[in-house]
Amino acid sequence: MLDILYVEDNQDEADIFRRVMNRLTNPPSFTILTSGSEAIDYLLQQGIYQGQSPPLPRLALIDLNLPGHSGFEVIQQVRAMSRTRYLPLVVYSTSDNPKDIRRAYDLGANAYLIKPGSYHEVTDMMRRAVDFWLTQSQYMP
Amino acid sequence: MLDCQLTDRDTVFYAFTNVMQPSVDLTNCDREPIQWPGFIQSHGYLLALDPVTFTIWQASENLSLLTGQPIDQLVGQPVADLLLGDLPGADLHELLTVAMRAGSPQAFNPYQVRINGHHWFTMLHLHDGALILELEPAGQNGLSLPQFTLITQTMSDVQRSGNLADLLNRTVRKIKELTGFDRVMTYRFGEDWHGEVVAEAREEDLDPFLGLHYPASDIPRQARELYKVNLVRGIVDVREPRVAILPVNYGPLDRPLDLTYSGLRAVSPLHIEYLQNMGVRSSMSISLLYRGELWGLIACHHYSGPRFVDYPTREAAKLVSQILSTALEIRQDDEETAFSRQLQDHEQTLYQHMLADWDVVQGLTKHPVTALDLNTATGVALLFEGELHTLGDTPTDAEILPLIEWISTTTPEIVFQTHQLPNLYPPAELFRQKASGVLMLMLSREMNEYLLWFRPEQIQTVSWGGNPDKPVLTGDSGEVRLSPRKSFEKWTEQVRNKALPWRQVEVATALKLREDLLQLVSQKANQIRVLNEQLRLAYEELEAFSYTVSHDLRTPLSSIKSYTEIYLEDHGNQMTEEAKGTFDKVIKATDRMNVLIRNVMQYSRMSRTDLTVEPLAMRPLLSQLRDELLAGENGRDITVQIGTTPDLQGDPTMMTQVFSNLLSNAVKYTRQVPKARVTVQGHENGHEIIYSVTDNGIGIDMKQAGKVFELFQRLDSATSYEGYGVGLAIVKRIMSRHRGKVWFESTPHQATTFYVSFPRI
Repeated sequence: MLDILYVEDNQDEADIFRRVMNRLTNPPSFTILTSGSEAIDYLLQQGIYQGQSPPLPRLALIDLNLPGHSGFEVIQQVRAMSRTRYLPLVVYSTSDNPKDIRRAYDLGANAYLIKPGSYHEVTDMMRRAVDFWLTQSQYMP
Repeated sequence: MLDCQLTDRDTVFYAFTNVMQPSVDLTNCDREPIQWPGFIQSHGYLLALDPVTFTIWQASENLSLLTGQPIDQLVGQPVADLLLGDLPGADLHELLTVAMRAGSPQAFNPYQVRINGHHWFTMLHLHDGALILELEPAGQNGLSLPQFTLITQTMSDVQRSGNLADLLNRTVRKIKELTGFDRVMTYRFGEDWHGEVVAEAREEDLDPFLGLHYPASDIPRQARELYKVNLVRGIVDVREPRVAILPVNYGPLDRPLDLTYSGLRAVSPLHIEYLQNMGVRSSMSISLLYRGELWGLIACHHYSGPRFVDYPTREAAKLVSQILSTALEIRQDDEETAFSRQLQDHEQTLYQHMLADWDVVQGLTKHPVTALDLNTATGVALLFEGELHTLGDTPTDAEILPLIEWISTTTPEIVFQTHQLPNLYPPAELFRQKASGVLMLMLSREMNEYLLWFRPEQIQTVSWGGNPDKPVLTGDSGEVRLSPRKSFEKWTEQVRNKALPWRQVEVATALKLREDLLQLVSQKANQIRVLNEQLRLAYEELEAFSYTVSHDLRTPLSSIKSYTEIYLEDHGNQMTEEAKGTFDKVIKATDRMNVLIRNVMQYSRMSRTDLTVEPLAMRPLLSQLRDELLAGENGRDITVQIGTTPDLQGDPTMMTQVFSNLLSNAVKYTRQVPKARVTVQGHENGHEIIYSVTDNGIGIDMKQAGKVFELFQRLDSATSYEGYGVGLAIVKRIMSRHRGKVWFESTPHQATTFYVSFPRI
């Protein structure tokens, strides 16, 4: 059982995320993948994850700016598979470009968060997001 | 069918043998069948023979005098049985045999014979199925010069003559010398076939005819047609009666023999009367051809008595005229070519100008060579891209525009020309001195673009040799009779409303210019399309680039800030206040950089993005901004009051930016004031809507007013406040894109008001 899948290629961001998660009251379980391609393989159980059954997360946090397949492609492919159609996908990106926001929603993202520029703000945002998506929002198994 | 009967010498009337009764008018003259008159002139004899057997088919009545036999006895006899005076028919027969053996008997004309001790010339030609033999006396007014000399003299005359007028004058003098006529003229056909005397050699005591015009009806159409094939015609004596050719009808045909090529052919009695009215006793005319068409005639008149010009002399005169015709062709061609080349050169120059300027109006009007040099016009007008440009002598703009309108509705063609505009378009009477001639090119009907040239009225005083209208008389018995002109007194007419006509080459060059011009316009349009596309692509690249740069700059910045915060969190309790302060400064520095990056991104976006103008409800927008701003200002005594808020038309994002910047400045620069008061107010007047944002903060020293809206410029008084000098530059940029204005008033440490105004739509 996996709480959060975080797809992020920036090492510092991943590092800060780990620290933030581990300091929450009830630290959720999480896996960090560093490329869009790997994220797709993981969620669709294909490619390098062929034959394995990695656990589906309850929430996927996806950066848009990824090497290989972009965050948009991840959303698109994940929404296309029946297994992952209802998986909560939340974009977590530095981009405030309205075009990106729109495209993310068009492809089926559930929410769009703009990365704040500081540790404290990240902490606040993550706390609220974890609370909302893992505790309050009902899960579709 | 019309029957032409001779009643007496003075008048002729036409009897109608058919039910159909065409009205008698001047055009009837055109239909008189002059090529088979059925008569010859009395100074010679004519035989029409079977070309194979030389049997006599027809003979002129006067031969009975020579042969002593009545004509009806001669008809049907072989010519060999004839006796012409002392000339045996057998001699003639032999002559004919030899001539016919050669194939074309006229090649060896004339053949010399002797009759009753006098020299005679025999001329032969094949026509109308017969071998026609004509006898004329030999040289009373003999030719002294051999042909060779004549040719050489004429050729050197041609070469020596400087221009066309000179050439024509030399020619008529030479012909007069050759033939001895009292008056020799060159008569030139103008449009609609009226004629003008352009050169003359005459006896001293005669009235000059030089410069006189004669109506087209003086030389009717069927005469002109005949003159193209039979190049020399003469009338020896208008007083001599004509001699009939018998039998009247030629062979099985219902008409007389065709005498088109005959030298003895008798002319129409109308023509005889015409000459008599002029006082002419004897005449001769020679055709001048240009490119196969009748250009004019050399007309010879004799008054003092009959004048017989024998065959060889006539042939010599014809030779001179043919040389003249050739010279005419060459000269006219040369002149045409030179003119044409000049126009083409000018057209090329104009095209080069337009290309170099990359502008049609510039290229055609602003250089030494202009559109006026494309032909012999005196004025030119160009309606292009909604504006009318004129050069030279033209009607007024108010006159030109309706004219263009009228022409474009009158014709769908791409070119329109006239040399008598007032006759077609009555309003042009008022400006006929400038534009009796118009040449217009349609450049673009959709864009309403035209190019016109103008020519002035040419008031021509034309002298006519007599009234050009031929009167039609009604006779006693009610018959209508035609009568050739009786009056030859000079008659002047003013030709109005006409300009010189446009020459072929002028119209052709104009059309070439149109082609070049349209190609240029199309290239320009393409170029603009390409440029627009390039611009669009450049903007897209810039947009993508900006985002990437912004992202790539902010990401490490975010790392710096975050790790600094983490360090403080982990080690803060072990650090001195001073050490913590140092880290705080690091954090603040990253914040500043973040703001700067964001501001610069905003500024660049304001220039690039498309403007979407919508109606905006200002109260909600301002209220929200106030709430957001005040949320970050906890602990201060600050009120932001919103007054009247008329709605605006503008781009929502940009409008929000404007008021956000103005309000945040007001909030920022009142930070030092115990009770900060900010007021936002809007009001409308006749032509604009003005909003004001007033604060009681530090104010702006007017000495620094120039820097207020400049990018990255900050005032001295503001250095202790955060900011990068971008906010007001953004406001100014946005206002300018909305065609509005921004300005301010300020008293330092008391009050500052910023105004933005929007034009009312």
